[in-house]
Amino acid sequence: MHELAMATQLVENVLEEAKKYDAKKVAEVHLTIGKLTFLGVEQMRFSYDILTKDTIMKDSKLIITEKDGVIECQSCGYKGKVPIEDDPAYHVPVPTLRCPKCREAAKIVEGKECTIMSIRILKQQECKDDCKRCRC
Amino acid sequence: MTNNKEIVKGEEVTLEIKPGMNILEVNKQLAQKNKELLQEHNVKAIDIMGSIGAGKTSLIEQLVQALKQKYRIAVFKGDLTTTIDAERIGRHGVKVVTINTGLECHLDANVVARAVERISLQDIDLLIIENVGNLICPAEFPLGTEKRVVVVSVTEGPYMVLKHPFTFMTADVMVVNKKDLAEIMKIDTSQLAKQAKDIKPDMKVAITNALTGEGIEDLINALEL
Repeated sequence: MHELAMATQLVENVLEEAKKYDAKKVAEVHLTIGKLTFLGVEQMRFSYDILTKDTIMKDSKLIITEKDGVIECQSCGYKGKVPIEDDPAYHVPVPTLRCPKCREAAKIVEGKECTIMSIRILKQQECKDDCKRCRC
Repeated sequence: MTNNKEIVKGEEVTLEIKPGMNILEVNKQLAQKNKELLQEHNVKAIDIMGSIGAGKTSLIEQLVQALKQKYRIAVFKGDLTTTIDAERIGRHGVKVVTINTGLECHLDANVVARAVERISLQDIDLLIIENVGNLICPAEFPLGTEKRVVVVSVTEGPYMVLKHPFTFMTADVMVVNKKDLAEIMKIDTSQLAKQAKDIKPDMKVAITNALTGEGIEDLINALEL
């Protein structure tokens, strides 16, 4: 539901980065979204397209990689995927923080990120003193 | 920056920048700052999440009523545009700051930090924050509170917990409210409690009726207040 707010931050951050390198265009943005966030990939794309329309990010590709959640147990040290509780009474598989080894409460250590991994930008080649090609 | 890869093709240069920037981390860091500031002033803080109509404000009224002799309390009330709830809580004689989010579906650590500037932390021991009525988005944004409460009411049906496992993973205490309507709604409150504990084994649960105050003691115990 808050993808628009997140996408706004994403676009602002990318534009800021791009500006540092004098980009004339942003070609690709690689984003990793943890599966334990509340961010929908489709909604992110939708917001991204709207927000980039009048910027140098227009028509850039948003490449999203989803990342599994990882939990770590403080009691026994187990570290791994979020287990799924499959109680037939629930009709649906339910993710749980219960450690699959010792049944104690574990903590989320991965899967809550929304990280800009890389950005591909296009820029004019830097002018060399005697290049004669550029007009600077 | 040393990781940047540069590819030159004619006059055009393609550059790969690797910021490795976690957008959600910004809120987390602000939340951590809030937490430290509150701890410095020995202020306990609680974030209360739940759907619209779950009974968050009524529960806060009960909490305030039960605890105002023991603690000096302030309440932050997240709401889209109105001050209706803030007035309700204000009648109990505690400081209330309304945080109108406009169109935003959740509170974040930044708006809470702004609200903290409007109160004097020296004058309070307990800060109760009522999040925007929404069971999903607030879970993404820690505010820097010591404890998080998620409120569900039996009128929301039997699947509230199972449908929102990731929200319940972020909470320390669950309240099942409107227990007086459980029978009419054919809801087994112990089932909701079991589901929450299946998702988060260390979850504490209080079953309440926020209109009469029934179960508020259990909630206070669960919050260790």
